[in-house]
Amino acid sequence: MITLSHYLAVGAALFALGMVGFLTRRNMIVMFLSAEMMLQGVAINFVAFSRHHGNMHGQVFTLFIIAVAACEAGIALALFLSLYRRKRTLDISEWQDLREAGLGATADTEPLPRTVEEPDPVLTKAGVAPKRPMEENRV
Amino acid sequence: MILLADTTDAALNWTVLTPVVAGALAVWYLLPTPRKRPAFGGLIAGGVALAGFAAFLLHGVGHTAPATVEAALFFGFAGSAVLFAVLMITNPNPARSALCFAMVVLSTCGLFLLLAAPFLMAATIIIYAGAIIVTFLFVIMLSHQHGPSSADLRSREPALAVGTGFVLLATLLVGLQRVYDYRSVQAVIDESNALAKSEKIDPEYLTARRDGDMGKPVDLTPRAKAYVGRAKVALARLKLAARETPGDTDLGWHAEVKAAEYAIADLERTPFKDGDAEAIRDETSTIARSLTYLKAVREGAVAPDDVTLSPYGRVEQIGAAADGSPIITITVPKKMPAANVAALGRVLFTDHLLAVELAGTLLLVATVGAIVIAGGRRETAR
Repeated sequence: MITLSHYLAVGAALFALGMVGFLTRRNMIVMFLSAEMMLQGVAINFVAFSRHHGNMHGQVFTLFIIAVAACEAGIALALFLSLYRRKRTLDISEWQDLREAGLGATADTEPLPRTVEEPDPVLTKAGVAPKRPMEENRV
Repeated sequence: MILLADTTDAALNWTVLTPVVAGALAVWYLLPTPRKRPAFGGLIAGGVALAGFAAFLLHGVGHTAPATVEAALFFGFAGSAVLFAVLMITNPNPARSALCFAMVVLSTCGLFLLLAAPFLMAATIIIYAGAIIVTFLFVIMLSHQHGPSSADLRSREPALAVGTGFVLLATLLVGLQRVYDYRSVQAVIDESNALAKSEKIDPEYLTARRDGDMGKPVDLTPRAKAYVGRAKVALARLKLAARETPGDTDLGWHAEVKAAEYAIADLERTPFKDGDAEAIRDETSTIARSLTYLKAVREGAVAPDDVTLSPYGRVEQIGAAADGSPIITITVPKKMPAANVAALGRVLFTDHLLAVELAGTLLLVATVGAIVIAGGRRETAR
């Protein structure tokens, strides 16, 4: 029989993985997705306890989690857009000026791998006739 | 305490250590770094971690899962949720991360369905996979960057963060095991029952007492001492798990705890002698009965006198057969209301009406806030 504890273990795994993602990743969007995944772990816990106790209160809490997550997503995405407009990057380390006093700045020493970027395709300009081979005139 | 035992009695046993250590290695290995690592090592560690997690679910939490359709569905959804969660936090491409998160949400919805919450499943799919993910993909598209960026190809303190997260996971898994794994308690109950039923007590338990030993403290044999010690530990675990509630302390839960405590104390003082066989049978059968009752209370199968049950719950009472051995009919799963949406709506608009209004207000404020923060294109060209 699949018991309450099985679901709690899955919720714990999702929560821990989300925490690792939130702490390590530097892309703001991925950080936010990790936080949402932590919420998913909590939601599994709530629904499993709701099933265990045989009442609906856990499911109601999960509904509120979804509502709060939707608010959070709206505000966070608006914030990401305005932050992106300032620095032209989603890297959270660009904002490390906001860190606690007394901590040193982190510097990235390892160079990023160079990848060859393919140039954008260029279309022929409109309005100018392309060169074509001269036709032989037979008189 | 033996740390690395292969039984679930020890705090850190292999069922916990395997998924945690292998999972930590896999996540650390797969996290994005500027230097490319071959994916091979991460895949091996990840496979070991997933297998270890499945083994934890199968054996680590006390109940062995039989091969039923429910178990197959549960393991499928749980496995894909964890797998895509790992892929989400390790993928350097944020768009793929968002799609992996959508898969995590879909697997979670499968688990919701198994937990008799179909409305939540539909709502989560629509809101998360439908709205939030698509919004994320829009933002990713709008802020698309050319070439490698340090936002996607670097991780911040990967070793420390992975250590923190997986220590948390190990703590949670060990806690689950301590709370839900009653196999050590069951072993004590079985041993007590065996002792109570035996005609002639196993000589390994018997203490050799000479005539001059009267008045000296009883020195139990190692086997008997181990039995008494484990009975004490089991009783302490069951006592810890229950709530301290005011109530009639002469009935039910309190009475069983007291009976077990007195029986264990008596066994400690009484030498296990052949002549005391009747007393020993008495005490051990008391211990077996009390521990069985407390375990059933802890597992939610029997209502202690002071716990209010949900209207949907059903409880089977404990009884005794003619020969005094305990009969407990347990594990009647509590029923959920059949009409999920109707029941959810009733609870939502009776018990949680204020919270519903607050959630609505919160959504409105969030909408206003999002428009204020993101609105207005005051970009200046750089």
